Amino acid sequence: MDQVWAALDATWRILLVGLLFGAGLPAIFALGIRSLAWGTGGEAEIHDTDEPVKPHLGGRVIAYTLFALVIATVVAGVGYIVAHGLGLTVTFNGLLPVFAPKH
Amino acid sequence: MTPEFILLALVVVTALAFDFTNGFHDTANAMATSIATKALSPKAAVTLSATLNLVGAFLSVEVAVTVTNAVIRIQNPDGTPKPELLANGGHELLLILMAGLAGAIIWNILTWLWGLPSSSSHALFGGLVGATIASLGWGGVVWIGTGGQLNGVIGKVVLPALISPAVAMIVAFVGTRFVFAITIGVTQRYQEAGFRWGQIGTASLLSLAHGTNDAQKTMGVITLALIASGDWTSTTEIPLWVKFACALAIASGTYIGGWRIIRTMGKGLVEVLSPQGMAAESASAAVILTSSQLGFALSTTHVCTGSILGSGLGRKGATVRWGVAAKMGLAWMVTLPLAAVVGAGMWWIGHLIGASGGALAVFGLMCVFALYVWWHSRRDPINHHNVNDDWCDEVAPAEDPATDKVSIAGGVH
Repeated sequence: MDQVWAALDATWRILLVGLLFGAGLPAIFALGIRSLAWGTGGEAEIHDTDEPVKPHLGGRVIAYTLFALVIATVVAGVGYIVAHGLGLTVTFNGLLPVFAPKH
Repeated sequence: MTPEFILLALVVVTALAFDFTNGFHDTANAMATSIATKALSPKAAVTLSATLNLVGAFLSVEVAVTVTNAVIRIQNPDGTPKPELLANGGHELLLILMAGLAGAIIWNILTWLWGLPSSSSHALFGGLVGATIASLGWGGVVWIGTGGQLNGVIGKVVLPALISPAVAMIVAFVGTRFVFAITIGVTQRYQEAGFRWGQIGTASLLSLAHGTNDAQKTMGVITLALIASGDWTSTTEIPLWVKFACALAIASGTYIGGWRIIRTMGKGLVEVLSPQGMAAESASAAVILTSSQLGFALSTTHVCTGSILGSGLGRKGATVRWGVAAKMGLAWMVTLPLAAVVGAGMWWIGHLIGASGGALAVFGLMCVFALYVWWHSRRDPINHHNVNDDWCDEVAPAEDPATDKVSIAGGVH
């Protein structure tokens, strides 16, 4: 039974962090796509009239900010994999990751 | 050449062969959805994945030589082999490794023929468990960990296999819902184009993680064999050539591409659109990296399959082929026991013939089987040309996988 509890204990943590990054990141990316469509206007957005939708500069700015956020997170993921491969453990001091040798 | 050397050489070659099967079995995990949504051409996808697996394999500087300790007792906690198995140039231990690897390879090849993604690590653990039971008896197997430390067949194989696909499925489901809710009003053509870039990024992340995780299992096994035969002593360092050989084996396996499995995961399970693909891959990456941080052993295959299913459930109107999912679930349940049966059988064959002849017989049997399966697969080839063809549901529902090998792969008839 201890094993099952230990596994369930890990499960809710994985689920929580998984939802934060695994579902949050595509959501931010989707917001980026949405903003970009607004920024591009025209063919990117669905609209009823034949008149093309005007592009908005703000949309593009927001979009690229969001994409940069996603890319930064993915780069952090790569950094994490690399650090683990090199035998470092990563702990989180507040928000900033701290790399320390294992053992 | 001494008999000890022949045995050692066969173990090393077999381990590399396993690494190769591990590569092509798992190409689908990272790349199936990108291929299905045409974010990448099939060839570009396997090339990218193979390169990142190669890089990932070289990144694993700190290799756990203690890989077998999760399920069997042939090593001490510090990684050195148990002294009682070391007589005769480590014959006893090498034969267990040889039989275990052969069992794992045979199961991997068979599931490839059926186009079913199954966990290579579970196959390896299964083969080793079987060979150990045959050799040392039931006591040689770690069935369950002590207290809250997840370990053994229960803690490292059974529980993760039950939990991880479910977690991945929930995450991918939520992610897919978000993505489609947020992008309402954006034309589909525009969505597809944008999310393809996201897919390529997340698929790359998965490939890299795979390279660092999976290649080092084989590195650990080969180093253990070298320690047992007395050709290596350190349990914290591994020989450079082992690292090179394993990295090349897993990368070339990935490059060959397990098209049959890619097809099942990308086309068979659900019809994947780019936004779903990105949600599924992000979910997989997040679950895999979080689990690795917590030391929770899981199979990439189970996570990725769970994510793809979740992404299918998350998009309204998407078809989820539960029949295909059920076949996969069945394959997962029997992976460990069946690989164990083959591993045990292989051990008996090697043991009864004895000396290096026994190991040669095991190796020969494995090769003959692999060739037979390959020949059989030619009747219904799936490659980068037809991997994305529309999935035709099988004419007759498959009752017995053994008599229905061809149609499970969902190929063109």
